[in-house]
Parts: sequence; C-alpha cells; structure tokens
Amino acid sequence: MDPTAEVGHENGLSGESGAAKMQERLQKRHQARIEEVERRKEAKENQSVAEEKGEYFSSTFATEQACVEELLSSCSGADRAAVTQRLEEATARTVQLQKFLNDSMLFLTQYKMRQAQAALQSLQTSIAEIREKALPKKKFAFGARSKGPGNVPAPVSDAAPPDAAPPADSGEVDGADASEQCFFSNMDDEFLTKTSEEIQKRDVLLSHLSNCKVRLFGSPSTLHLKHIDSCEILCGPVSTSVFVDSCRNSTLAFACQQLRTHNTTDTQVYLHVTSRAIVEDCHRVSVAPFSWSYPTLDEDFTASGLDRDRNNWSQVDDFNWLAAGIPSPNWSILPEADRKTNWGP
Amino acid sequence: MGFLTILKKMKQKEREMRLLMLGLDNAGKTTILKKFNGEDVSTISPTLGFNIKTLEHKGFKLNIWDVGGQKSLRSYWKNYFESTDGLVWVVDSADRLRLQDCRQELSALLLEERLAGATLLVFANKQDLPGSLSKEAIREALALDEIKSHHWCIIGCSAVTGENLLTGVDWLLDDIAARIFTAD
Repeated sequence: MDPTAEVGHENGLSGESGAAKMQERLQKRHQARIEEVERRKEAKENQSVAEEKGEYFSSTFATEQACVEELLSSCSGADRAAVTQRLEEATARTVQLQKFLNDSMLFLTQYKMRQAQAALQSLQTSIAEIREKALPKKKFAFGARSKGPGNVPAPVSDAAPPDAAPPADSGEVDGADASEQCFFSNMDDEFLTKTSEEIQKRDVLLSHLSNCKVRLFGSPSTLHLKHIDSCEILCGPVSTSVFVDSCRNSTLAFACQQLRTHNTTDTQVYLHVTSRAIVEDCHRVSVAPFSWSYPTLDEDFTASGLDRDRNNWSQVDDFNWLAAGIPSPNWSILPEADRKTNWGP
Repeated sequence: MGFLTILKKMKQKEREMRLLMLGLDNAGKTTILKKFNGEDVSTISPTLGFNIKTLEHKGFKLNIWDVGGQKSLRSYWKNYFESTDGLVWVVDSADRLRLQDCRQELSALLLEERLAGATLLVFANKQDLPGSLSKEAIREALALDEIKSHHWCIIGCSAVTGENLLTGVDWLLDDIAARIFTAD
C-alpha cells in the first residue's frame, strides 16, 4: 500500500479523501485485470479440446489396444467361423486405431507416436500370424503363387502339341517354362479345343495361329491372343481381362470383364464385357453381342463371377480417337444382318 | 494462434508423399490402387487418363497417381514426374510376350532427371495366376540388378487377392521416410 500512498503524493493529491479515492481506483483496476486474465484463461481452455490431450490419447489407445489383444487371444481354440469373425473385428478395430493415431499425430510427442505406431505394428503382425495359423486358406494362395514344375497339371502338358515348344516370338524373355501358360502357338489350319478342366482359373495364351478354329469351353482367369491370322476363336467367360494384339481377319467371341485390343484389323468381336472394351491402333474392328453358347456356359458364367446382365459391348473406347461426339472410324457395330448365328461345332 | 496454425499445416505437409504408379497397360495399376483403398475391383475399365487417390497409411498422407499405360498415353507420363517421392512400376507377371517392352519403358523412366530422387518399387503383379513368372524371373527379365541410380525393391503380389500389396507399400514408405523425414 505504500507505493499507492507515494503515487498519491507524487500526483500532488493530498488529504484523506484523495488517498482513499486513489486506492479505490487502483483496487478496481486490479480487479479488472484479474478478471481479464481469468477470461483469457477460460477462452484458451475452451479452444483446446479434451480429445487433443496426451493423456486422453494414451488411455483411449491403451483401452482399444487391450480390446483387440483380448479378441486375438480368444481366437486360440475357437472354431473356424468364430475365428474368422473375431479376426475381422480385430482388423477393423486396428484400422480404426490407426486412423485415431493419424488424427492425433499433430499434438503427440515423437516418443508417444513411435510407441503407438510400434504397438499397432505388433497388433497387425499378430493378426496376420493368427490368420495364417487358423485360416489356412491363405496357404493355398501361396501354393498357387510359387510355380514349380510340379504345379502344372499333367494333362495340360500332355495335351500341348509337340510343335508348340519353340516360341517364335523374339520378344519373349522366358521361354523355358512357357508351356505352362502357352496352350497353343505356331499352328496352321487346325481345329483346337480345350475343356473346362484344362483352362479353369488359368491364364491362357494363344499366339501365332493362322487359319485355325479354336474352342475354349470353360472359364479362364485371363486370355491373351497375339499374332492371330484368319482364325475363329471362341472362349467362355474370362473372369478378368482379355488382351488382343496383332490380330487380323478373324472372328472372336468371348465374355470378359475388360477387353484391350491392339494393332488389330478386319476383325469381328462377339463380346460380353462388364466394364469397358478399348481399341488402340486398330482398323475395321466390328463388335456384336456375345452369342456363342455351349452346354456348360451358365456354370462357367457363375464360376467367372461376371455379371450376365451387364454387357457394354457397344461402348468401345478408342485411344487414338479422343474427340468427343464424333464416333471413331476405327471400329463399328456389326449390322444385325451380318451377325453370325450358327457357330457350328 | 495464426502462427501455430501455420506450423500445424507445415507439419502436416511434411508427412505427405507423392507416389506415381506406372506400367504397361493391363498390368493392374488401377486394380492395385483400388484394392489398396478397399474398393471394388470387379468393375474397373481400362484407364483413359489417370486416377488420383489420397489416402492415409502409417501416419503418412499418400497422394497416389495412377496413369494409364496404353501406348498412346505413355508419352504423357512425363507430365506426372514432378516432385515424385516414389515410383511404383507394375508388371503383369503373366505377360511374357511384352516383358521386353516392359524393360525398355522402365529403363527409359529411370534415366529421367525428374525421377532421379525417387524410390522404385516394382510390383510383380498377378502372382495368383498359375502361369505367372516368379518375382525372381521378373527381376532378371527387367535387369533390376543393374539399377544403381535408385533404391529399388521387387515384391510379388496379386491385386485381385490383395496379397503383398501392404508389404510393398510399407517398404516404399519406409524407404522414402528414411530419406526425406530424417529430421524427425
């Protein structure tokens, strides 16, 4: 209080009433200042959300982590269906946890972030381990992936014609085990067929064929046609894509998810395509709806997973013709009168 | 407050990566992108231009550019090179006949100055197909061992089943992060 009195004196105010007034005024100002500080503090607190606190993060993260761990530990000994369900939940929760971590990254310290990241990593690893152990389905995928010579079903190699062995294409890098994929190549004037068992879920390649008739009854995984001249090639539903390159003067029929056609001329395609067909560097390619049929076509359609009700055969994109509104001169729709209806044997 | 916001934004930006996905047409680039993002892969059409996806993974924000691989589109690839942190080269492991093509396109890319700092991840895709080449065969066919200019890694994967996609992307992120976020 001394300084107040002093100030009072310095200001030249004298007498009891002057000093009292001054004190009152200072008191008020002091009060106002404290209130202001209080107000600011409050405002600041309002701005920092509870969720953006390190402790909140740690506790939430820990609870969630414990949950997932419990889920995982309950997997051992449970039956397959239960394990699948639990694993699914654990995976979903882990993903959510990752998201939570990502969102919280801005206010976390490096150390905390690393710790959380490491915890997540170990969760993911144990999920993967349990999945591997409990659901050996994945093992099958692995088996199909590693392709040793023992992997090829014997009938296929038997059925492969002896003159198919030397691949004529210079672009081919690995010709040694090409027989695994190469079903027909370097043939002239033949009638070739494959049964469903031979091509189911496999990748089929036909190359360097001329004047051949090919019938593929079944649902391969993918189909490649290359260097085809004056052939008629009919194939069942292909579950993914068909790739056609350097084909001329031929008739093709297949169902597929995607079709890519390159360097192809004077060719008719009877097509069922669930997404899109494209042409590039092609001339005089005509399209018509897929009309070939054989006894097990329905089953093969089901096996391929293709949607029978969705056929975009008439919507072909031309990569050499990007002008909108003007139809590409490189492909056309085959007039109904010219379409083939009888496919023979 | 203003300054803090700027700092936050900068920090956010720091954790962003730009990945460019290229490869011949029919390699499975769009399928990889969609599968990685958890989308349906059964309705994908051949890419007429490009797709961009921004997604978060392992605390990083990834901008993934998937550019069509059709021959007539390849001359546009160069438009996407700028500030690429990681290059994902996708190979159709079952397409033996175009491996030579594939090798040439890749080696041309690696000479590109604007991609000089980028990490290279090669996806030997379609390993689910019984006739696909192993990643070792692809590695040989593309002469990857001769690459000295870039950090690289080859991973066998299947975009259809999703197998190994995470492994590949995780490797790529780790490599890029080690290079550009050393300050952390």
